[in-house]
Amino acid sequence: MSGSNGFEPKIVAFVCNWCTYLGADLAGTSRLEYPPNVRILRLPCTGRIDTNLVVKAVEGGADAVLVSGCHPGDCHYNAGNYHARRRWMLFRELLDVLGFDMRRIHFTWISAAEGRKFQHVISEITEQTRALGPWRAYEAKAEIDHRGGLVGQAVSPATGRAGPAPALQAPAPLAEQELRDLARRLLGAGDVKVVIGYGAAGPVFVTKAADVERLVWNEGCQANLTTYLKRKEVRALGKPAVVVKGCDERSLVVLEKESQIRREDVRVIGMACDGMGQEKCAACDTHEPRFADERVGKAGGQGGKPAARYAAVEAILAKTPEERLAFWSAEFDRCLKCYACRQVCPMCYCERCIADKNRPQAIDTSPHRKGNFAWHIARAMHLAGRCVGCDECTRACPAGIDLRLLNLTLARAAETQFGYRAGMDPAAEPPIGAYSLQDKEEFIR
Amino acid sequence: MSARISREDLRKLVAEWLAAGKKVFGPVRVKAGLELYAPLDSAEALLLDGWIRPANSIKELVFPRHEALYGYRILKNRVELVDLAAEIPEQIAIGAHPCDAAALAALDKVFNWDYRDEFYNRRRAATTVITMACAAHDDQCFCTSVGLGPEAERGSDALLHERDGGYEVRAISEKGRILLGGLAGETACPTAQTSGANTPPRRFDSAQVAAFAKEHFEDPYWAERALACLGCGACTFTCPACHCFDMVDEGNGREGVRARNWDACQFPMFTLHASGHNPRANQGARQRQRIYHKFVMYPDKFGEVLCTGCGNCSRNCPVGLGVLPAATEIGNG
Repeated sequence: MSGSNGFEPKIVAFVCNWCTYLGADLAGTSRLEYPPNVRILRLPCTGRIDTNLVVKAVEGGADAVLVSGCHPGDCHYNAGNYHARRRWMLFRELLDVLGFDMRRIHFTWISAAEGRKFQHVISEITEQTRALGPWRAYEAKAEIDHRGGLVGQAVSPATGRAGPAPALQAPAPLAEQELRDLARRLLGAGDVKVVIGYGAAGPVFVTKAADVERLVWNEGCQANLTTYLKRKEVRALGKPAVVVKGCDERSLVVLEKESQIRREDVRVIGMACDGMGQEKCAACDTHEPRFADERVGKAGGQGGKPAARYAAVEAILAKTPEERLAFWSAEFDRCLKCYACRQVCPMCYCERCIADKNRPQAIDTSPHRKGNFAWHIARAMHLAGRCVGCDECTRACPAGIDLRLLNLTLARAAETQFGYRAGMDPAAEPPIGAYSLQDKEEFIR
Repeated sequence: MSARISREDLRKLVAEWLAAGKKVFGPVRVKAGLELYAPLDSAEALLLDGWIRPANSIKELVFPRHEALYGYRILKNRVELVDLAAEIPEQIAIGAHPCDAAALAALDKVFNWDYRDEFYNRRRAATTVITMACAAHDDQCFCTSVGLGPEAERGSDALLHERDGGYEVRAISEKGRILLGGLAGETACPTAQTSGANTPPRRFDSAQVAAFAKEHFEDPYWAERALACLGCGACTFTCPACHCFDMVDEGNGREGVRARNWDACQFPMFTLHASGHNPRANQGARQRQRIYHKFVMYPDKFGEVLCTGCGNCSRNCPVGLGVLPAATEIGNG
């Protein structure tokens, strides 16, 4: 059975309890022979299979991974397999951009009656994987010095993409005075207890009408201040007004949808914006706030190329998977695990992040390549269909990791597959947590 | 007397070190707007100018962000420990700034105080630091406020001063003398500047910062200052002098490693007890801790401030905090 070099692939199969596991059982009781290369892990439902489990399998040296559950319409829990299918539609695009070998990631529907299909699938995957050879994914390639000798890969000046796009035009028309007057009025009338706004050297929390001069509006107002709405120290100040740009405003839509804020508990001050000189600004189509209670200023020209918002994803997809993996390895090797990306994110509001859970340790805390891949994959997936593209993670990262490219990948997947853009339409159904019988499944056999 | 080396010869020297199998660590431009200290793969990658200071520090050479201390194997009735000790290759930091080098001197004290940390010390012993005196500063630099300066020698094995398109070289320690041999002079650079374009103004008085921190431990100032703080570790991880770490076991049911990773006082988990109690219950207490450690606790024990004024915490803070904004407020009486 083994190849000429003696290589025997290890295949990890995550299967559901009700269909595929019984299918495997039937194969056994029917005396149908299939290769012993597969390690079966039984879970209640494919809907329960966390994408992190796939990462764990890869870390553990799997040469191929199989996820298998009930046929559409067959799920013991009615719709678990539909949820899994949808999650995989997004997850596969992420893995592809990361440069994973997609020939080693399989998804099948196998019912309890299909012992023969199970036999065929396992035999085929085993043969195919044997031909591919061992999976030299990031861990195998990493040559991580567990003694900590290297500080990431040596980086050459040539790596990395071009820097941020230049500002589209001059900073937005100065609406600073109008903003201050508005803040003075809101605080004076007692409508709000605090105005969360931009100051000369970072966010400021203005609680007295006399202090509104601390508020500024200039080309340095890049932060997405809605992230403070979740912080308990800020919540303790009382009802807030928050200064947002059209892009930041999108996070309010998602936060409300996810029951993290009540819209009536927040006064939203929307600033018209012509761009802050960041990469995202070049493709902006939210120069004007749309849902704000108060609006300040008027955006000048529109400019920018919204249609080109996923150009960076398409550029990396033009590279080979090996080049992509090398690119991300170099990017992630710089990660310090400072979690600035998580902390700054308005959408990261879990009381305890999966990265901080250690019973069991879902994600290695170590900032080595393995731990960094696991972390960034988990972070991106947790933001799938939720990230509004404010790029705060990228701005906050002290190591300059191109995190926006991961978020854009999933935003692109959500838009192309489900016509969904997070935070654009309060009435739209988010892609994760919903499903459609029409969801594509050309990757499932 | 001091000696001179041209820029070309400096690169040649780096190339020789690399060819000899030494690990050379220096500033490189990773992408537009991002300079980091990183292992050089060629002498050309060494960035000699066009930057104020990299976003990280050279502490990674002696105190890596992740370091496996020993391995373990689980046998039938016992656990076997596996020694991972390996030869640390000779490593050279070139182009470090005085604020990086001085931090190594501070780390030396911490890692040799009540316990001699063998992992730190073997890396330290293998490391030679060739510092480049600063030619410029930005508005985040404040070395002069913490007793250092753009040409300070503390922690350096040799010092380069940029002069007339080349460098004046001066050995400071035996290590520097051995590495540079006849290239280096012995005396202070005759044209050394003590003030000028490279010297940031004194922005605060560190004794006043210490006094405020001691006398206003419970002051609401800390909570107000910390309102914008997101609780990430960008400040501590890019700080040349911060040195807290966490211990983790990583492996499977059969074998693994015990490793230490950087940890940060700004994380709520840093002080969380198993009981659920957290003695530093809010971000204000955590911000205060960072200032207090640097300006009170460490000086009380070791007689110097645990901050070299590099400004990395503020440059890397996504919300404009860090030592400097706080110290300017509380250290200017």
